[in-house]
Amino acid sequence: MVAPWRGRVGHGFVAVAYILLAACAGPQSTLAPAGPAARIAANLWWGMFIVSAVVLLVIVGLWLYALYRTPCDHDAVTLRRIGQRWIIGGGIILPSVSVAVLLAFGIPLGHRMLPLPLPGDQPLRIDVMAHQWRWEVRYPDHGIVTNDRLVIPAGRAIDFHVGSADVIHSFWVPRLGGKIDALPGRTNVLRLRADQPGEYRGQCAEFCGAEHAHMVFVVEALDAAVFEDWVKTRKP
Amino acid sequence: MNTTASEEQERLHAGFHAVWANPRGWRALSLVNHTTLGLRFMGTAVVFFLIGGLLAMLVRAQLALPNQRLLDHELYNQAFTMHGTVMMFLFAVPMLEGLAVYLIPKMIGARDLVFPRLTALGYWCYLFGGLILISSLFLGIAPDSGWFMYTPLSSNVYSPGPNSDFWLLGITFIEISALATAVELVVSILRTRTADMSLDRMPLFAWYILGMALMIVVGFPPLILGSILLELERAAGLPFFDVTRGGDPVLWQHLFWLFGHPEVYIIFLPAAGIVSTLIPVFAQRPIVGYRWVVLSIITTSFLSFGLWVHHMFTVGIPHLAQAFFSAASMLVAIPTAIQIFVWLATLWTGRPLFRLPMLWLVGFLVVFVAGGLTGVMLALVPFNWQVHDTHFIVAHMHYVLVGGMFFPMVAGLYYWLPHVSGRMPSERLGRWGFWLTFVGFNLTFLIMHWTGLLGMPRRIYTYGAGLGWDLPNLVSSIGSFVMAIGIAAVLLDIALHFRFGRIAPPNPWNADTLEWATGTPPRMYNFASQPGCATRHPLWDQPELPESIADGKHWLSIFDHGRRETLGTDPVSGKVREIFHLPGNSWLPLLIALGLAVVCISLLARSYAIAALAALASVTIMLRWSWVNGLHPAALADLRTQLGDPPLHTHTFDGPGRWGMGVTLIANASLFLALLFGWFYLWTVAPHWEAPAASPLPWFVLLPAGLLVTIATLWLRRIVASLHRGTAANLQMQFWGVAGLGLAYVAVLVQVLSTAPLSATLTAHDAVITVFLVYLLLHGALASILAALQALRVRRGYVGPHAPYEPGVVGAWWLYTLLTFWLTYICVVLFPVGWGGG
Amino acid sequence: MLSPSHPLQLALGLIVWSAWFVAIYGALSVGCALAPPDAELGARTWLNGLLAALTALTFAWLVRQAVVCLHATRTGTAGSPQRRFMMPLSASLYVVAAVSTLVIGLPVLGLPPCP
Repeated sequence: MVAPWRGRVGHGFVAVAYILLAACAGPQSTLAPAGPAARIAANLWWGMFIVSAVVLLVIVGLWLYALYRTPCDHDAVTLRRIGQRWIIGGGIILPSVSVAVLLAFGIPLGHRMLPLPLPGDQPLRIDVMAHQWRWEVRYPDHGIVTNDRLVIPAGRAIDFHVGSADVIHSFWVPRLGGKIDALPGRTNVLRLRADQPGEYRGQCAEFCGAEHAHMVFVVEALDAAVFEDWVKTRKP
Repeated sequence: MNTTASEEQERLHAGFHAVWANPRGWRALSLVNHTTLGLRFMGTAVVFFLIGGLLAMLVRAQLALPNQRLLDHELYNQAFTMHGTVMMFLFAVPMLEGLAVYLIPKMIGARDLVFPRLTALGYWCYLFGGLILISSLFLGIAPDSGWFMYTPLSSNVYSPGPNSDFWLLGITFIEISALATAVELVVSILRTRTADMSLDRMPLFAWYILGMALMIVVGFPPLILGSILLELERAAGLPFFDVTRGGDPVLWQHLFWLFGHPEVYIIFLPAAGIVSTLIPVFAQRPIVGYRWVVLSIITTSFLSFGLWVHHMFTVGIPHLAQAFFSAASMLVAIPTAIQIFVWLATLWTGRPLFRLPMLWLVGFLVVFVAGGLTGVMLALVPFNWQVHDTHFIVAHMHYVLVGGMFFPMVAGLYYWLPHVSGRMPSERLGRWGFWLTFVGFNLTFLIMHWTGLLGMPRRIYTYGAGLGWDLPNLVSSIGSFVMAIGIAAVLLDIALHFRFGRIAPPNPWNADTLEWATGTPPRMYNFASQPGCATRHPLWDQPELPESIADGKHWLSIFDHGRRETLGTDPVSGKVREIFHLPGNSWLPLLIALGLAVVCISLLARSYAIAALAALASVTIMLRWSWVNGLHPAALADLRTQLGDPPLHTHTFDGPGRWGMGVTLIANASLFLALLFGWFYLWTVAPHWEAPAASPLPWFVLLPAGLLVTIATLWLRRIVASLHRGTAANLQMQFWGVAGLGLAYVAVLVQVLSTAPLSATLTAHDAVITVFLVYLLLHGALASILAALQALRVRRGYVGPHAPYEPGVVGAWWLYTLLTFWLTYICVVLFPVGWGGG
Repeated sequence: MLSPSHPLQLALGLIVWSAWFVAIYGALSVGCALAPPDAELGARTWLNGLLAALTALTFAWLVRQAVVCLHATRTGTAGSPQRRFMMPLSASLYVVAAVSTLVIGLPVLGLPPCP
């Protein structure tokens, strides 16, 4: 038997959570992750956001308290000790511990996003060449070429080999993961995976001139079997 | 007794005023006084700030609604590029340097900055560079590649118009101004603190400015080099950043962020200096942990140079390298946290008074700490990959820059207004201004983090509906207009106070630092006599000091020799060593700046003949500037000193010029090292780098030049050593000899440059070598000219055993020329042989 | 050898830190450009070993300098107030440089160098 107030509070939480989730949704939202890389980043965000909010509130609260509290008379030695305590506690220990925790979490997580050799199932390779202002997509294993549209199998790791034919662009599908710059003369590799079939919007993230705002593309993730069919229909 | 004291004060004031007063009318263009020039710096910066603010309003108006058609992409791209450029280069740095120019001599008990003509040159270069840059807006051809100008978008292929040239030339012009001011701030702080102001008694603000100025000295040259190289690529086709000819666009990013990240701390340090000055005054107690603050300043100044790659995490750099920069970026949070808790502890143990400047400091704390926390988040690589180049970054950097610079600066403005005008600002309008700005700012930028997390990239001129970005953008735009009203209220308050503010008492906030002993408004010579500094808080511990200073009870209270002078003291202990005599008003700074402006404009117009002529004219005027120095009668008419006073610096071996040369050479070395970095970077990393099978510079062709420059430098050192012993003979002939060897050195370099098989426009390899050779050539030419001028000065009697100061200064330049020659030889001639590519 | 109270001691530690930082970044870039170790080796490569050795050496030197300055503070017979200010400050700046070296160098032990 649940107490009625607990039920109401529960409803409240659900409502707040619902509003938050609705606010996080969006075709290009990093907070509506649809792949492992994006999920890591979103979880990192929520963790860091909560801790930072607490730190900010505490520091500002302490300042305001220090401004308004009734000053007490101490001798010079006590004052010095109080000062040292604040500086060492807040200025050194607090940030050092936070930074250590962040790095201990963050560096291995970042490592997991890298296109390292996989045991077993090999990732699919797709070459992406950025132009002012379109994306040219090639499937080297299948000989398919598309423009501004990437079709990928869901549930399988994809290695995007990204380059540029002119200026610097940046390849970014927020719901699947982080971005990688498209540089002339170089090829960068970005590994992404879509967990579920669906459409994911992508956009150029590095300013690339007049039509930068319109350099948009779509990633369409299909069931593995449907993807095979798509490959067959598109094969030259 | 009192009447005699005040008569004495008036006599001293009249005498000093005659020596130091500014000329009026059109001659005011020739003045060099730091108080006036500091105010000019700040006034000009405020005007540019308003222009930058208007551009921001345009950007926010365009983004307020989806599919808005207020601006097209052409105007929008110019607006956001110029907003960033103007705020960073034309507002933030000059504003803070202006404040430092105004305050530093007063705080450290000096009469002026150590190179007054350089202050004026810095101001004119800033003004003209800014006007040239702003003019592009009105011509509709403003830079439009973003304020960090990534190539190849900013190259002549993808930006063929003059837009990028305005940025590259205008910004270089302004950076020369920033550098000039930084050099003299460093030397002033190290060498002109008043008697016995040892390093541990120096006001914290001076420590902060010392840190900022040294960071400018080391941090700006890489961007100056980058701008020169990019302009050479655009105008002359030398392919440093063109990947097809062996260059690399990522090199530009390295050079830019090598400057760009330290820049954030260059802006933050002086603002934090304001906080560290104000908090103890309003807490009515000395700062807790002076040494902790100094430790933080020095640490920040260094660590912030190890972060630049965190702007480039998505470029495709090895993850291990990213981890280095990630860790460094987080470490730099620690010195900042130390300062925040130092301020907290000071308030905690003090008796805080909540005056108007305090309000802005609380605003600073909230905004800056929030920005710092998102900064730590961004240093985490996997999170950075998501939000890099989104509106999250835009929000973060505004929190850091507006929080870390604008809020403390307004606090400082309110605090020092009575010093400038002798009147108090109004508390009521000021509070309105604060709350509107604070609320408007957070409304604009807090929600912008969210916009970025929802996936909105930065720098897009429009967006479609249905992406979830409509509402947050509308809120941001409304907030930005609230903030604009708040800033208008602040400006109105400041403008009105000059007319209606009530007259301020002599030390209205009961401050502890010496600037409040110069009178409000300040006397042009600051101090009728320079006091000995026995403590860290002179005005708290010796409240009678302002009176005894005005009574002439301390150092250098004589004026009838008619020279402007200030004490030269030991950089560590503050013991009095020399009297620095300072130059008076001069037209030369204005003329040089005009010459450089003509160079800049004619380069924009691609009229290279005029540019060359104007450059020649500017250099000639600079040499004239160096001529009217030392014992030249126009620089020093009267050599008399009081019994017991230290000697004039011209009669010693140490003086401001020697230190100025040293600091300038540090800046020069930073530029040279950036060039070496570029060479090795391209050599190892550029995708299509091609080194020819046979080097265009075989090992023997440069050796004669090396021999000549080595002999000449050693000879010059011998001359200086003989001056030290007081046994110099045939000085004039010896200087001619050195100059002749220098000329031969230059001739060899010219010969190599014209005969070596270099195709500078075809490969980056040859382009970089050409730049090295031209660099050596220019240094050798200047070295020879300086040696020749020394010979002439010996003939006139300005230099000799009685005045042995200048040859040492010239010697430093020669030594630098020698070192850069051999480093170039090792890295450009020998290294490729060892690599096997030569 | 600089005396422990020389003003350059304030900057020397962090200058050495900067040089070390440039050196490991440069060595890593050059190493990966010329002879990239196999990604499957993880962090057990010659390149990691080189970087770790460089880091350990720099760290050791910085700690030694910190100890020298600290020792001079403890034993120095009073001296001038500036000396009492400068030497502990120099010592703590060496500590800062040493800790920075260690923290920034630590990832060398766990990450493969080039991917």
